[in-house]
Amino acid sequence: MQATLRKILGSQETGLVAVVLLVTIALTVLAGSHVDRGGVSINNFWNANTLIQTATDASFFAIMAVGATMVIISGGIDLSVGSIYALSGVTMALVLRAIGPMGTFATSASGLLICAGVGLLCGVLNGALVVVLRVHPFIITLGSMWVLRGIAFVTTRAESIIVPPTLTQVTKASLGMAGGLYPVPMLSMIVVTVIGAIYLTRTVMGRHIFAFGGNVEASRFAGLSLSRIQIGVFAISGLTAGLAAFLGATFYGSASSGDAQGYELYVIASAVVGGASLIGGKGSAVGAMLGALLIVLIRQSIRTLHFDQNYEWIVIGCAIIVAVVVDQWSTRLASRRFNRAAAR
Amino acid sequence: METAVTLEHVSKRFPGVQALSGVSLEIAAGSCHALCGENGAGKSTLGKILAGLQAPDGGQVFVFGREVQFSSPHDALAAGIAMVHQELAFCENMSVAENLCLGSIPTRGGFVDREEMRNRASAQLAETGTMLDVDGRLGELSIGNRQMVQIAAAVGGGARIIVFDEPTSSLSQAEADRLYALIGRLKTRGVTCIFVSHRMPEIFALCDTVSVLRDGGHVATRPTSELTEAQLVELMIGRPLAEYLPVASDGPPGNEVLRAEALTSPGLFTDVSLSLRAGEVVGLAGLMGAGRSEVAAAIFGLDPESVGRIFVKGKAERIADPQDAIRLGIGFAPEDRKRQGLVLSQSALHNASLPTLNRLSRFSWINMAKERAQTSTLFNRLRVRTPSLDAVVAGLSGGNQQKVVLAKWLAAKPEVLILDEPTRGVDVGAKAEIHALIGELAAQGTAVLVISSELPEVLRLADRIIVLREGRVAGELARAAATQSALLRLMAGVA
Repeated sequence: MQATLRKILGSQETGLVAVVLLVTIALTVLAGSHVDRGGVSINNFWNANTLIQTATDASFFAIMAVGATMVIISGGIDLSVGSIYALSGVTMALVLRAIGPMGTFATSASGLLICAGVGLLCGVLNGALVVVLRVHPFIITLGSMWVLRGIAFVTTRAESIIVPPTLTQVTKASLGMAGGLYPVPMLSMIVVTVIGAIYLTRTVMGRHIFAFGGNVEASRFAGLSLSRIQIGVFAISGLTAGLAAFLGATFYGSASSGDAQGYELYVIASAVVGGASLIGGKGSAVGAMLGALLIVLIRQSIRTLHFDQNYEWIVIGCAIIVAVVVDQWSTRLASRRFNRAAAR
Repeated sequence: METAVTLEHVSKRFPGVQALSGVSLEIAAGSCHALCGENGAGKSTLGKILAGLQAPDGGQVFVFGREVQFSSPHDALAAGIAMVHQELAFCENMSVAENLCLGSIPTRGGFVDREEMRNRASAQLAETGTMLDVDGRLGELSIGNRQMVQIAAAVGGGARIIVFDEPTSSLSQAEADRLYALIGRLKTRGVTCIFVSHRMPEIFALCDTVSVLRDGGHVATRPTSELTEAQLVELMIGRPLAEYLPVASDGPPGNEVLRAEALTSPGLFTDVSLSLRAGEVVGLAGLMGAGRSEVAAAIFGLDPESVGRIFVKGKAERIADPQDAIRLGIGFAPEDRKRQGLVLSQSALHNASLPTLNRLSRFSWINMAKERAQTSTLFNRLRVRTPSLDAVVAGLSGGNQQKVVLAKWLAAKPEVLILDEPTRGVDVGAKAEIHALIGELAAQGTAVLVISSELPEVLRLADRIIVLREGRVAGELARAAATQSALLRLMAGVA
């Protein structure tokens, strides 16, 4: 029992959970409240609407961050996730428009399949280029970031394509909650994070990703298939971008080549705030999701506390640096604590 | 006689371990003083404190009678102490001259004065009797030559005391001999050498005095002339070492499990043939650069350029990559454990199970209980000393890291095990354990190919020794015919 508790307290994500909780509490305290029409006092931040809205805002790039964090753990980087998102979204919208009306299930299934398929394909392409051409992932994905968005731009002729409304009903399903609440993106985020966490910690492939990122040479000597690992992480990163695109495009009802512009940086920031090391060998799916959540919370706090919204970028930029520095300190402290405990 | 260094009650604590506790000793000026002890005894820490890389928590350090407190290697150098590192710290992409002048690059009008830099570098090298092209890239030098550069930098920087931290652990015999000669020259110039090592022969050949550390404490300081090798080992490990005896393998070897025919890799080795039989320990000897590790790498599928035929249990096989090799029952513990053997940032557990994860899982799902059980059994067998299975390997001592590498391959239960420098940088106790393990493996029917630069080790372990010279098989010696001089003659190619 005590050992379990120590393990939880010592784990990498505990600090991050604490920070997210602290920010949440601070926001709740500072937000003040208003009185609704029924005469009930409601906190301006701590209410179902704002909370789910915040989670929804985070969910699209949190899902991408879970995939991208695997690329980062392998020592690479994926700058193309925003473009994969855009291309997956518009491909789905264009194909569904061409097919015409179908049943709800058929539309959802084919939409999801198209987004996931396009994302996976783009990811495999990234990975294959990195492996075959032996060029650093930064360069390959910098290139594919422009190429993929360009393809989306050309095929849509810069138009925004409407997604069938049946799909919007699916992603905006209330699932029995009060009207105006849309929990589907949030739940999807949690499901993807859990699957990602299990994949990273409990499967052979996950273990291989950590080994590859920690020491490529040692992984080669241990007989791991290096190209499979590298293509694998990019495929997953592409896949999660495709999934996020499905949720995003259907949630907002349309897809365009300009979607998710700049998301790649939010995604990398989330992974890094979540404890991933750009050198490789370190990171977690839960951390990536919490990182995304923290970034959105900080953005939300600007609105909730009525700060000048024009300062948003400055605040987020500073917050990312502070978060990573604090994380590094706490890991150092934790490892010291761990060593001391282990010596006893 | 003047004292160069005096330590009084020096202590140092690291998270989880008391590295040094109240060490007091004196080092005479102009002497060559060995600090020895098992891995984790604190000898490297002591060296690092002297070189200003680490600050002691308690106690005093005096250099030539003056109390000093170093907060950086720069401070130490100002007081006349420099260190030749175990892990060499250089900018490999820069030239020898640039590296030598890195601390104070000469400039003229704001630009680098290349001529001056070259002159200074050559002068520094000449002072230690080393001839090298100062314009060559440092990364292209052999480890031995890099060490020469490091020593030149130390002496050129005005060091009167040089700490050598296991300097010969990655040198060939010839390079080590050059280093010994250099240390002799330094001594005649009045430079004090502090030699951190656990290699018996060099301690006795080079050093006047030896201080033994054990578990962070100072055990004894004696003139080497008053000690025998066995006494020194006993001081280091605190008990008589019965296993410090030759490993004799008995029983006839079994069937041939691996045969390589006419292996050739352009520029590395030519027409190398060898065969291994079950239960046999075969030594692969040769000078640095003779192609020993390269042949091993080719057998393990790491050299795409190599051609030749490999037979496993009589069947011709193609080994294109390590996965093929592992599938065929070959294991390979590489020579550079930090770069090739271990993922330093990961735990001992995850390292030890890496090549066998597929066996420990079902549909990619790892059976963690099985993984732990397998690893802790192996760690017990190998006597790996680690705070827990989850301890990060970067924090383990060299001997324990090497045992983790071995555990990795024992887990794979190979029929052929190639060990490249299995005891490099490993202390006497662990070394004896590893040697015993090799004997045990052979007795159980594993064919072991041991590559080692230490001739006594090869002679002790191997039933048969294959000697490589300049990439070709120079000869093969049976155990009975193998003597140090016979081996050396074959290695060097003198009749």
